[in-house]
Amino acid sequence: MPLETEQLSAAQRGKVRRLSAPKELAPDDEGGELNIIPFLDIITNVLMFVLATVAVTFTTMIDSHPPSAGGRAPTTPTLNLNVIINDDGFVISAARQRVATGCRGYGSGVAVPVNKSNAPKIDDPTDPKEKPDYNDYDALKRCAEYLKTQLPEYAGEKQVAISANSDVQYKVIIRAMDALRRSEKGDDLFPEVNFGVPQ
Amino acid sequence: MANPPQPPGAPPPAQPRQKPASMARYKRELRKETKRRALEPEINFLNITAMMDMMTIILVFLLKTMTTSTASLPQSDDLKIPESVLSKEPDQEPEGVVVMVSRTQILVADNPIVPVPLDASKYGIEPRYKSGNRDAFAIDPLLKVLRDWRGKDKNTRKALGKDDASEAILVMDKRTPYRVLVEVTYTLGQAEFSKFHLMVLQNNKK
Repeated sequence: MPLETEQLSAAQRGKVRRLSAPKELAPDDEGGELNIIPFLDIITNVLMFVLATVAVTFTTMIDSHPPSAGGRAPTTPTLNLNVIINDDGFVISAARQRVATGCRGYGSGVAVPVNKSNAPKIDDPTDPKEKPDYNDYDALKRCAEYLKTQLPEYAGEKQVAISANSDVQYKVIIRAMDALRRSEKGDDLFPEVNFGVPQ
Repeated sequence: MANPPQPPGAPPPAQPRQKPASMARYKRELRKETKRRALEPEINFLNITAMMDMMTIILVFLLKTMTTSTASLPQSDDLKIPESVLSKEPDQEPEGVVVMVSRTQILVADNPIVPVPLDASKYGIEPRYKSGNRDAFAIDPLLKVLRDWRGKDKNTRKALGKDDASEAILVMDKRTPYRVLVEVTYTLGQAEFSKFHLMVLQNNKK
């Protein structure tokens, strides 16, 4: 009898059916990996929640040194910029002389007076004790830039001594330091700050 | 000859037993059937190893950033740090003793040292903490703690072969009067701290 027309017996058909059934995998054999998708769902949700709620703030540091004394007297002209902050504005002295009001030449007065026509800087408008800050930081920056360009020997100077009235707040000092740090073009002016002791 | 009719309800007559097919035919049928009923390969898990790698790196980076920028920065109504336009990153992670000046007290390494009075903008810290002299600048309890710290730091630096300069990190409330700032920095100078870092918040708004 030819192979193609040969019929299987009932017993053979049953055996073929039984042996050809796909084998069920045991739980241990199933891919061999943990199903961590639910875990990942939870982690992703928690991460998103944390990122949405935590206000990330970046801090930085302003370096400063205590004033140092001693050393030899400089042989070249020095600017020795000194800024005193009081209620009327910034009193500036440079090259051992007071800078006149308006920052052009030497003379008496407040070099950079407060400018009450400008909008004051207020950090927290809801705080009734907040003192409005009318200091003119842009004018202070321009003045420092002008003084530094008066002599070529001043170009290498980076130090400024800041002093203030006892009640001047720390944030005003930081704003003054920011103004004195760089020129409007982005060049270094006086990035190194020392604090003076008020007399 | 025709089969005799069966009475109703009688079992069907037994079929003649079929002759089994040859072994070759049987095996061929078995192979064909096995192939037909085989399950399609099913993807029952995702390969997420690459994504896990990425997520872990992002998480570690995030945690590290948050640790250096915010975790050590207790912001409250008592201590609000001023903002600065300075945006440069420190050349290296600043190290040193943390001196915190809040509206109500001065702390060194989280230990309260002296209170800050309400009228600090006039005379700074109370005279009883400055050898009884209202106009003095050195704060005695702070000086003692800083000198102790300086002594330990000096030995550590010597053992590690570093330079002798101790550093301090100043975290001050933005409403702190200049008088208190000078008293603290003066005391740091008296305790032989040669450099200090003022902590500020980065603000790139003009």
